Amino acid sequence: MDGVRVGKRVIGAQAPVTVGWENIPRVEGGPVKQFVFTWFQPTMLFALLAFWYYAPNSIAKTSTAIGIGIAFKVLLLGLEWVNPRYASWQLTWKELVTDLFYVGLGYTILRMVDSYIGSDAVIEAIQHNFHAEKFTWFTGLPLLVQAFLISFIFDFGQYWMHRGMHNWYPLWLPHSVHHYITQLNINKGAVGNPVELFLIGLGIGGLFDFVPRAFLIAGAFGMAIGVYQHINVRFNSPRWWRFLFNTTEHHSLHHSQDFEATRSNYAGSYIFIDRIFGTCVDGEAELLGMEGGRRMSIREQMTYPFTEGWKTLKERFGRQVAVPAE
Amino acid sequence: MGTAPPASPSSTRTLWPDPGAKVQPDASSDTDSRVGNLFKGDNVNLRFIDWIWHVRGRLAIAPEQSSDEAFERLTPLFRQTGTSFQRTDATLTFRKKDQAAQDKMSIFDGGVLRIEQDGAGPVLRYHLISRALLFCFLAPLLFLAFAQLTIFTSKLQKPPTEAASTSGKAAKGSQKPAVEKAPVPLNPIDKFLGAPEPEKPKKGDEEKLGRRGKKPSPTPAYVFAGMFAALYVIGRILEDRLIKRLFKKSLQVS
Repeated sequence: MDGVRVGKRVIGAQAPVTVGWENIPRVEGGPVKQFVFTWFQPTMLFALLAFWYYAPNSIAKTSTAIGIGIAFKVLLLGLEWVNPRYASWQLTWKELVTDLFYVGLGYTILRMVDSYIGSDAVIEAIQHNFHAEKFTWFTGLPLLVQAFLISFIFDFGQYWMHRGMHNWYPLWLPHSVHHYITQLNINKGAVGNPVELFLIGLGIGGLFDFVPRAFLIAGAFGMAIGVYQHINVRFNSPRWWRFLFNTTEHHSLHHSQDFEATRSNYAGSYIFIDRIFGTCVDGEAELLGMEGGRRMSIREQMTYPFTEGWKTLKERFGRQVAVPAE
Repeated sequence: MGTAPPASPSSTRTLWPDPGAKVQPDASSDTDSRVGNLFKGDNVNLRFIDWIWHVRGRLAIAPEQSSDEAFERLTPLFRQTGTSFQRTDATLTFRKKDQAAQDKMSIFDGGVLRIEQDGAGPVLRYHLISRALLFCFLAPLLFLAFAQLTIFTSKLQKPPTEAASTSGKAAKGSQKPAVEKAPVPLNPIDKFLGAPEPEKPKKGDEEKLGRRGKKPSPTPAYVFAGMFAALYVIGRILEDRLIKRLFKKSLQVS
């Protein structure tokens, strides 16, 4: 495999990937289907923004956001069934059970741990020391500007955290498990070693039912853009959308079996952050995973970072057994 | 420690046929005992409960089809990544490890297929084992345990007594007089566009924020326990039918 030169890198020398938007297949079907799968993403984004912008205070709550989030995912599961990107990514009973197990961990035990020692505790500490009067310049900005800045700053942090995970071995160990997924679908974002899920704070939020509206709108940005990273749906995303936002195409390349391709497209929502730092590659891949697409069992997913870390430590610091000379 | 994550294109997976697989071409004629050999530890008679993760079935084969021919037709199902199998005259024993999501038999980890002569003609008997089914069956118990843990930890967090809270408030009050916080007014652009004015936070709201909001609730754990119980029932019925259909389709003489 020759691969394709993108800047200074050669992408796709180890495993098949598609590079360049012009090479990515379009939605097949009649004009109605084409229309729906072209405008679905922008429509949902603007609809959600409008909802949170105008929702009365009585319903502008985190619990409403959680409800909408679950309903939206169910809708997207339906779209995966109607218009899958790849048949090889189609959901099976076993994959659904595996994914829901991780989604369940996020809603239960991880949320509980987070509430005591994790991100929620950090939020609490911040709130105790938070002086609202110092931020009136920010809270006086138009709501949408506030919301965009909140989601952008969060995504900027996620970009560097994620890039760090791919470049620093101790962080790579817990993240590596997520890269053993061999197909994308709407719940795959939740699949990973609990240490990583704890680190990135998947259990964050949900315990606060009183948050400023700007945070709810910021959440809508995250949900209506970031949710498509792991989806198995073929969209004709508008040109401006795929220039600004992360898409399943970008993220499939990030999960491909090609090493160089995995070192691209780190942002969660705003792919323009990758464009700024030179890590964006426009394209897609079907064959995903590590070790040639080996699927990891849940048991191995739970223990892998520790067993691998132990192996590495032993290799590096273990006693060399002296072999007596004959 | 600056090494990049390894992404070896070469695979360490079990390739077919795997000479190292511990599949026994034993002489036993009983399909169940073969499966027992396949998975050591299942030797205890678990017949009454093993239907939870064992799928058994039988399928009539066309009388003109020999067992050799039938297995030839079934063999492609076992030429999958991570699958090893062994065939004797009338028996096929297989084992799977790290099977691909796209493998049509990915739910099963091992099993025995055997062609026998019935009164009406040849039949394919199969006995398959699925750890995924067992996992899904046990998952509700795990989530119920999470629910109990949530309740237990909530109880540990005793709410402050009224006296303590009033004395605390008094102490706080002596240090810092309570200031009524007015909500930040809306930006003129938002006013023009008609966004609702923010409400003045209610008394309880600020306390909620300070005290980590609501306590973790056991409800999500109960919901997931219910979901996995439903998924188990669906999976047990669905996968039983799907595998039967798959074998039937593979055996069909075109």
